[in-house]
Amino acid sequence: MSDAAAPDPFGVGLPLDTEVSRPRPGTVLLEVDGEIDTATAPRLQARLNEALDAADDEGSRVVVDLTGVTFLASSGLAVLIGGARRMTALGGRLRLVAASRSVTRPLQVTGADALFDTFDDVASALATEAKGAGATATAPPPGVAPPTGGVGR
Amino acid sequence: MSDAESLDGMSTVEVRTSATAALIPTIRAVASDLAARADFDLDAISDLRMAVDEACATLVDAADPTSVLQCRFLVRPERIRVHAEVESAKPDTVLSTDTFGWRVLQTLADDVEVLHKAAADGRPATVAIRLDKSAGDVPR
Repeated sequence: MSDAAAPDPFGVGLPLDTEVSRPRPGTVLLEVDGEIDTATAPRLQARLNEALDAADDEGSRVVVDLTGVTFLASSGLAVLIGGARRMTALGGRLRLVAASRSVTRPLQVTGADALFDTFDDVASALATEAKGAGATATAPPPGVAPPTGGVGR
Repeated sequence: MSDAESLDGMSTVEVRTSATAALIPTIRAVASDLAARADFDLDAISDLRMAVDEACATLVDAADPTSVLQCRFLVRPERIRVHAEVESAKPDTVLSTDTFGWRVLQTLADDVEVLHKAAADGRPATVAIRLDKSAGDVPR
């Protein structure tokens, strides 16, 4: 293969690993590792849609484990916010596991954290019963208004 | 004198890449490194890294596919100014600021501005974003 035909070594961006599992009946766990930016957000979108489809079909709760995420851009936030909206429409709340500043700071600074139930580790996210529903589910984030079209409804 | 036009002997770093989203991780890593060395607090480092990512992603979307993405960091006492620039895809390209990403950028940076420059003297039209970020809320 000539150099000219060689694929761009950076063509796919940094790796983003995603894995969907069912650690217990009625719970879909989406584990995400890597950096979520404009290049990788579409992959997150695809896997989150799968998890939410399962929630739609089976009434499962959905936990997104972001422990291994080392960067989160607005494009990734938009995907998560769209997922939160869809989950709310299904009568639940999207659960996030967010431990590091790389994830908690973007959620906090944009006010998007109000849209999720957030946990420090996977075990608590899986163990905790549903929080008081409704009270905060419809409260808009106090910071930046999330996108209103395109990523969810 | 414009910050973007001169290397003034102070701590200034310039990174030039192809204008492609795949190389933005390199640029935001440089931003993060410079902020850490400049003793920014941890939230400010995170905010600058994210702001630079947003600015570059916005510009790459508006860039001519063959353009260079030029990103200049001016490290000053207690703050960093970033000037990122690409050649516009079209002479009349105007950056859209009515986006979620742009609102996030405004939240993250202390100050942010779009600069459009028309083609002139054989130089192509350019679009740039200039942003300022201070080291943190706590006075040192």
